[in-house]
Amino acid sequence: MFRQLFKARDTWRAPVSVLITGFLSLTTSATAVASIPYFSDDVASGKLPPMEQRIPAEPAIAEFSGSETTGQYGGQLRLLMGKSKDIRLMMVYGYARLIGYTPEHELVADILRDFTVEDGRIFTFHLRKGHRWSDGEPFTSEAFRYYWENIVNNEDLFPFGLPAKLMVEGEPPAVSFPDDLTVRYEWSKPNPYFVPALAAPRPMFIYAPGHYLEQFHSDFTPEEELQTKVEEAGVRNWAGLHHRKNHPYKNDNPELPSLQPWVNSTRPPAERFVFERNAYYHRVDDNGRQLPYIDEVVVNITSKSLVAAKTGAGESDLQGRYIRLDNYTFLKEGESRNDFNVRLWSSGTGSQFAIYPNLNSNDPVWRDLVRNREFRRALSVGINRHEINQVIYFGLAQASANTVLPSCSLFEPEYQTEWTQFDLDLANDILDRMGMREKDSRGIRLMSDGRPLEIILQTAGEGTEETDILELIGESWFKLGVKLHVKPSQREVFRERVFSGDAMMALFNGIDNGSPTADMSPREFAPTNQTQLQWPKWGQYFETNQKVGEAPDIPEAMQLLELYESWSRSRNSVEREMIWHEMLKIHSEEVFSIGLVCGVPQPVVVNNKLRNVPEEGVYSWEPNSFFGVYRPDTFWFE
Amino acid sequence: MTYYVIKRLGMMIPTLLVISFIVFVIIQLPPGDYLETYIAELESQGESVDQDKIKFLRDQYGLDDPFMVQYFNWVSGFISGDFGYSFEYDLPVREVIGDKIWLTILVSFITILVTWAIAFPIGMYSATHQYSWGDYGLTLLGFIGLATPNFLLALVMLYFANVWFGTSIGGLMDPEYLDQPWSWGKFKSVLEHLWIPVVVIGTSGTAGMIRRLRANLLDELDKQYVMTGKAKGLPPFKLLTKYPLRMSLNFFIADIGSLLPSVISGAEITAIVLSLPTTGPMLLDSLQSQDMYLAGTFLMFLALLTVIGMLISDLLLAWLDPRIRLQGASLK
Repeated sequence: MFRQLFKARDTWRAPVSVLITGFLSLTTSATAVASIPYFSDDVASGKLPPMEQRIPAEPAIAEFSGSETTGQYGGQLRLLMGKSKDIRLMMVYGYARLIGYTPEHELVADILRDFTVEDGRIFTFHLRKGHRWSDGEPFTSEAFRYYWENIVNNEDLFPFGLPAKLMVEGEPPAVSFPDDLTVRYEWSKPNPYFVPALAAPRPMFIYAPGHYLEQFHSDFTPEEELQTKVEEAGVRNWAGLHHRKNHPYKNDNPELPSLQPWVNSTRPPAERFVFERNAYYHRVDDNGRQLPYIDEVVVNITSKSLVAAKTGAGESDLQGRYIRLDNYTFLKEGESRNDFNVRLWSSGTGSQFAIYPNLNSNDPVWRDLVRNREFRRALSVGINRHEINQVIYFGLAQASANTVLPSCSLFEPEYQTEWTQFDLDLANDILDRMGMREKDSRGIRLMSDGRPLEIILQTAGEGTEETDILELIGESWFKLGVKLHVKPSQREVFRERVFSGDAMMALFNGIDNGSPTADMSPREFAPTNQTQLQWPKWGQYFETNQKVGEAPDIPEAMQLLELYESWSRSRNSVEREMIWHEMLKIHSEEVFSIGLVCGVPQPVVVNNKLRNVPEEGVYSWEPNSFFGVYRPDTFWFE
Repeated sequence: MTYYVIKRLGMMIPTLLVISFIVFVIIQLPPGDYLETYIAELESQGESVDQDKIKFLRDQYGLDDPFMVQYFNWVSGFISGDFGYSFEYDLPVREVIGDKIWLTILVSFITILVTWAIAFPIGMYSATHQYSWGDYGLTLLGFIGLATPNFLLALVMLYFANVWFGTSIGGLMDPEYLDQPWSWGKFKSVLEHLWIPVVVIGTSGTAGMIRRLRANLLDELDKQYVMTGKAKGLPPFKLLTKYPLRMSLNFFIADIGSLLPSVISGAEITAIVLSLPTTGPMLLDSLQSQDMYLAGTFLMFLALLTVIGMLISDLLLAWLDPRIRLQGASLK
C-alpha cells in the first residue's frame, strides 16, 4: 500500500543506486577526466576551479539508452525564435528541474538528490552536497528559505497571497529547513499539484538566489539606495524591480544566477541571444564528464513567418517551433543542400483542432439545443474525419475524439472512437428524432422557434488550415440540414466573443496534454477554467471561487467537477487512475467538445551532425517540455 | 517671414496634443488590454498564467487606472523625455527604440538615395524622349515595379539570394555579426543583405517618382523660355537642368514633408517579411499586442516628424520658388 502512495517513490530508488555506483567509479577515474576546452583558459588562470570542484559531490548521472552515446564537448547550437520574449523557451528546453519527467513520464529527482512523499502531503527534498549556482555560490536550503520567507510571504511582492499550487483548500504549507541540504513542505491534506508543478515546462520556482536578489529587496537594502535603482529601471516600486530582476522563467536577466545547463549572457532587447554553458551544472555523463556537451546555444530572433524559410536554408540546428506539417515538403527539399534532416515527431495535443459548442451561449434556443447530448453526437458523427485526414494531413493523422492519445497510459480505444464514426444516416436519424423534421427551401432544418439551423462558428483565424477543415465539415453538415458559417476574427476578439456567450460555437486547439499520467491534473476535462471554450462561464465560476460566471447546471458537468475535486483530495495513483477513467468516459459519451484528428506529425529539423536527438519523439508542451525531457544537455556535435 | 515661422511653430503644439489624444484613444479602443493579449498568446502555445500574477502585473503597469490618468501620465512624461514603459519588452520605451532607430534610418536613407539616383535620369529621359521606345520600355519597367506586391518580390529575392549567393535569409547581416562591434566583415555582411530591402522598397517609389517627374517636365518643355534657350544655342543638357528641371522640382520639395516620417518608420510590410531589425515590425507588434506606450510613442514620433517635415517643405518651397513667395505676400 505504502509503495503505491506516489509513483515517483518507486522510480527514484533506482537512480539513487546508480548514482552511488556512478559516484564511486567517478572518484576513481576523476584524475583521468578530460577538462572542458571551453573553460580551459579560465581554469588555467584560476578564474574557475577545476571540473571536479565545480560539480556537486554526488552529481546526477545522465542515462543513455538505445542509440544514444556519450559525446564530445564543443559546438554551438543555433535556434530560431519568433520574438525576443521566446528566449523563455530555453528554460523549457534546458529542463533542469527539482523533479523532472523522464520520456516515459515518470517523475525523478533531478536538481534534488532525492525526495520523499508521505501520505501525499509531506514532501521532503534532499539537495546535492556541493551544488552551486551558475555564479559559483552554494545552492542550499537557503535558496528555498529566501523564496518562502522573503518573496512569497512578503506583502509587497505577493500582495495577493501564495501561488494557487502552494495552497490546499486555502491552507498554506508549513515549511521547514532542517539543515543545509533538506527542505520540507507539509500540508494537512494531500497536495497532488505540488510535484507536477515543479516538473512542468513552466515550473513553479520555489527557490531563488537570495545572495543576488537581496540588493533589490527592501528588507536588506536601505531605501535611498533602492530608490535610485527603481528610478533607473523605470518601474513603479521596489517590488516591480525585484520581480524584474527575478524572472527565472523569462530568462531576461543575464545577471540572475541559474541552475540550467545554459545561462543567458545577452541583455534584451537583442536580435541574437547567446546562452553560455553553466560551469556549475549538476549533471555528468557516465564517464563523469560534466554536461552539457554543447558549449553555447545561440537563439536568433526573426519574424515567425520566416522561420520555416530560414530553417530550410540550414540556419537552425534544431527546430520544431514555428514550423508545421505544411512546411514539410519545402523543408525536405532543403535537406540535401543544407545538411540537415527532417524528422516527423508526433504532436502531443489530444486533437489537432476541436469544435466547441458553447453551452453558455446567450441564445436560449441554441443553448437548449447544444446542451442536448444527442445533438452534439449527431454533429460529431456528421463529420467525415477520414476525408479531413486525407485532404489536409496527407493521411498521416488519425481520426479521434478530443481525448487522450493512444500512446497515453490512460488510453482506451472507445474514448477515441465513440461517436467519431462517419454516419450521415445515424446523424439525420438523431436530428429527426429530436423533432427538427421541418426544413426550409434550402433544405436547412428549422429550430424549435422556427429559425433555420444556421451555425456561426468562430475561429481565431490564424491560418488556412482551420478554414480548410471547416470547408469540409460545412459540406458534410449541409447533408444533415445544418448550415455552417465560418467567422474568423483576431484571437482576443474571438476569445471575448466566446467568453461573453455571443459565440455559438468555436474551433480551437484540442486538449493540450494528450498523454497525461494519472498523477497529472485532469483539469482540462472539468469546467475549471474560463478558457475552456465549451463552458467558459462555468469555468470562470470555478476559477473565481464562485464570484463571477455561472454555476454548472447540467448533471454531467457537475459530476465532472466533483470528480475533479475528489482527484485533488486523492492520496494515491490508483485512486487517481480510477477518477481519470471515469472522467474520460463521461467525455466520450457526452461529446462536450467534438474532436477531429489526432497525431498530426510535427516536423522537427535536426542538423545531420547533431547526435542524441531521438528519431521519433513527442513534441508537446506538457509534459514533454518540447525537447526538454530528451535532455538537450546530452546532445552533441560530431 | 519670421512671424510666419513662429506662427507655424505655435500651431504645432495644439496639433500634436490632439494627435496624441487620438492616438491613445485608438490604441485603447479594441477590447481588452496588453495583459489579455499576452495571456492569449501564452495559452495558444499551451502555457498558462496564474491569476494572481496577472493581478499583480495589472497593478504594476497601472492598467486599471482610469483612462484619463493613463493618458496624462504618458503625455506629461513626454516632455521630460520619459516615454513610458514597454510591457512587451519589460523595459522603458526609450531603451527599446534606441538601437533600432539607427538601422532604420540607414535602410531608409539608402533606399531614398537609390530611388532618386534611378528615378531622376529615367524621368528626364522619358520626358525628353516622349513616346519613344525607350520611354515605353522604361515606363513599363516602372509600372511592373509599382504593380508587383513588395512582399512577394521580397520573398522571391530572399529565396534566390540564399540559393544562388548563400546569403542568410532575412535580417540585415549574418547572425554571427549581430551585437558585435563594427568590422570590415560586418560591413560587407550588411552590404550583402542591404540590397534586397533597398531594391524591394525602392521599386515602387521609383516608379511613382519617374511618372511625376516626367509629367512635370513635359509641362515645362513646351514653354517659350525653353524654345528661347534652344534658339540661343544652349547645349540641350545644360538647358534641361538649368531651367525646366528646376521649375518642375516643386513636387519633389513637397515630398520631403512625407519623406521624413517614412525615414524612421521604414517600409513596414517589407521590413516584416524580410525580418529587418528596423522599427516597422516593432510598431506593428506593439499595436497588435496593445503595448500602448510603445505604440503611442512611435506614432507620436511619426506625427512629430510629419509636422516638422511639412514645415520644412513649405519653407523650402517659399525659398525656392519666388512665385509662391510673392503670391503669398500679395494676398496680405
